[in-house]
Amino acid sequence: MKKTILALSVAIAGTGAFNTAMAEEEAPIDGNLRIVIGSTSTGGDTYQNSEIVAQQLSDKLDMNVKVDAVGATEAFKALERSPDGNTMMIFHDMAYLGHLYGVRGYENVFEEFNVGPSIAINPGNAYLVAKDSPYETLDDIKEAVADGERVRVSIQPGGVSEIGFSALKNAIRIEHPGAEENLVAVNSGSQSDKNQQMFDGLADVINGSVQANEQFTRLPEDDQKAMRFVWLTARQDTIEQTLEEGMGETTREELLEFTEPNVTVTQDGEKNFTFDKEFFFIYNEDMDQEIVDYMDEALAEIYDEGEIQKTQKQSFFIPNFKPSDESEEYLQEKMNEYEEIINSID
Amino acid sequence: MEFLSALSPLFFLLIVFGVLVGIIFGSIPGMTATMAVAVCLPLTYALDLTNGLALLLGLYVGGITGGLVPAVLLKIPGTPSSITTTFDGYPMAQRGEGERALKIGIVASLFGGVFSAIILFLFAPILSDFAIKFSYIEKFLIIFLALTVIASLSGNMLMGIFSGVLGVWLSLIGTYSITDGGNGELRLMFDFMVPYLESGFSLLPVLIGLFGLGTVFIEAEQGVKKEVSSQSLRMSDQVRFSMSVFRGKLVNLLRSSSIGTFVGMLPGIGGSAASVLAYTQEKNFSRDPSQMGKGAPQGLVASESANNSLTGGALIPLLSLGIPGDSTTAILIGAFTLQGIQVGPLFIGDNLDTWYTMVFALLVANFVMFAIMFFAIKHIAKVVAVPKYILYPVIIMMCVVGAYAINYGIMFDVWTLFIFGVFGYVAHKVGIEIPPLIIGFILGSSAEIYFVKSLESYGNFMIFFTKSPIAVFLWVLIFMSIAFSIYLNIKSRRKRSDEVETQT
Repeated sequence: MKKTILALSVAIAGTGAFNTAMAEEEAPIDGNLRIVIGSTSTGGDTYQNSEIVAQQLSDKLDMNVKVDAVGATEAFKALERSPDGNTMMIFHDMAYLGHLYGVRGYENVFEEFNVGPSIAINPGNAYLVAKDSPYETLDDIKEAVADGERVRVSIQPGGVSEIGFSALKNAIRIEHPGAEENLVAVNSGSQSDKNQQMFDGLADVINGSVQANEQFTRLPEDDQKAMRFVWLTARQDTIEQTLEEGMGETTREELLEFTEPNVTVTQDGEKNFTFDKEFFFIYNEDMDQEIVDYMDEALAEIYDEGEIQKTQKQSFFIPNFKPSDESEEYLQEKMNEYEEIINSID
Repeated sequence: MEFLSALSPLFFLLIVFGVLVGIIFGSIPGMTATMAVAVCLPLTYALDLTNGLALLLGLYVGGITGGLVPAVLLKIPGTPSSITTTFDGYPMAQRGEGERALKIGIVASLFGGVFSAIILFLFAPILSDFAIKFSYIEKFLIIFLALTVIASLSGNMLMGIFSGVLGVWLSLIGTYSITDGGNGELRLMFDFMVPYLESGFSLLPVLIGLFGLGTVFIEAEQGVKKEVSSQSLRMSDQVRFSMSVFRGKLVNLLRSSSIGTFVGMLPGIGGSAASVLAYTQEKNFSRDPSQMGKGAPQGLVASESANNSLTGGALIPLLSLGIPGDSTTAILIGAFTLQGIQVGPLFIGDNLDTWYTMVFALLVANFVMFAIMFFAIKHIAKVVAVPKYILYPVIIMMCVVGAYAINYGIMFDVWTLFIFGVFGYVAHKVGIEIPPLIIGFILGSSAEIYFVKSLESYGNFMIFFTKSPIAVFLWVLIFMSIAFSIYLNIKSRRKRSDEVETQT
């Protein structure tokens, strides 16, 4: 009960945080702020991350901020209609990967919209095999493919789930030219579908996440559901920023065994490929620069106060605030790198 | 029982609040249990996990049950899973037995909810191991089995099957989404439709358009008189509710609750399939199926016990695989993650107290739902006494608000509501049957995904028959269901011709 009263007091105090709210006369946005997200799920990481930021923004800007899980197609449409700053979008790397993979409904976000500040990373993107798989490591998989064995990887095509697959295919092309044809994608939808494909023996490797699959890695080998991580695509220093206890009973140290430099996938023969799933704002192309600056300033203050970082880390996100200019430049560069990978295996 | 000492009065208050708000959401056409949970999720940020779960599970149970009210009284399914409730509930309400129908529905809901909570508690890990034996093929066959209800629901079998196929066709318009494992390409539309129909027709606006708006249009054509509706006049001398109505229905209750729990635990099948499947099986196995669809309590019992038993069923894969069984439980994952708790195959063992609390909250929520609904029903049932010239504009307004809100403010959903309202009116005129059409629409897209995925994965048609003993068993049920529908059809035709002969 004490805890509940405390939590409620914190919440009430939070809603009336007059001291930290930005002065009203400065506000270049009239009315409420609607944040549309590129996912239709209210149980996924995009919603969760956006909700954390929305709550903080609501306090900081002293306005109603509502997150709507409308999905990418509808979110881009809503954004196109709203240059006044009342509708903004939060999405992740799928925003430009969808365009690179030619998915319907995805334009080049850097040309059709304005890329805004980045807010966080989900470091959990992972690849797994069944615990009784003959492949112990990612190197085993690469060798098997090089030896002419057909290895099936279950992914959701056209985005975050596919980029690791593309990178692996590219690495095999560089190291064993011609053998990359043996690494084949098995298209699937949700995480449940990918897991099921592994249980049914329809996939040798699946894309998953630390959050969704960690408990499966702790099951005994004779359990049909038991899995093993073979690769986390995140950068080493991203995983190093997670809480020491890691996720579930897999500690940060154990997670680091599956990132570079312990597990490497070459990007061009020299540099290692890494992929951090980053969340960022997207604005209407014609939105006033004053609103862009206003949002940068508000988020900078929120991150300076330090509370949001605790909430994000608690939910296995890595806080990663970059103001609009920096974020756009960084993400544009990231897109260019991945474009090269995707083109090289076409 | 250590967990009980950790529960505060707030825990119980939040369940009551959750159930109440859930019932309100479920009762408004276009508002669903999923919306209720999504809207209230941010409230749980200020609560600890135990109290947060109490609120969310209350909303879940209340939301699913609330769908019963407009289904019975207005023939508008409050949630997609209460579609089969309209088949017998509304004819009962028309006979002046609205209150009785609602009470039967509530008791059946309570049975289904408690049944599934007990199954969840006792067998969750074992059942989740069984659930993963259902691959694309078995899931397709389950949906196919549910689709066979179309034949037995139809007044005119040929027209019914045509309507069902039309429903499936309508459900396929739009993008074959990559999030479902599709190719992301558009189908079944002209270029000018793309901006509107890229994501296809949304289920809820179609459902409330056909059932809600369509009915209002038909009644409006007949002319709405100013006096109080005739049903309300019969409310006082109506058949009173008595528990004896459940005599001989234990098998129905058990079968329907088992089907609901089972379908709930298969991710990707969808809640509506549960009540449709339970309704079909009741029709196939009951001694006298001839009254079903005309106001038979047994249909109501099958539908409501099945859709409430979804609640426990959908929690099985969530808590033992980390995979939500339906759209509402998908949101619950957010509540867990926010509290730093991971759901997956080891969740129960690692979080025994939370596990006990959840099952307990689910049980309490069911009883609270029963208490609130059972005693409020007398007043709720009076909605049929509201003159139609007041009631119908209110229904239209609620439908529009619900359609606009369901996908967080997409105007085309309101147009969808209107289009299908007019379509429902025209369909009535030309003899297209709405229930088979809507069942085709609800199940069509899942059927397509699993059918295509089965072929992609296994590469031949024979696998549908040879994949597993479960597949063979499902085929037996499918053939039985079809054969039974044909038998019923022939029987009713003979009866009709006999009656004609007697008259002449």
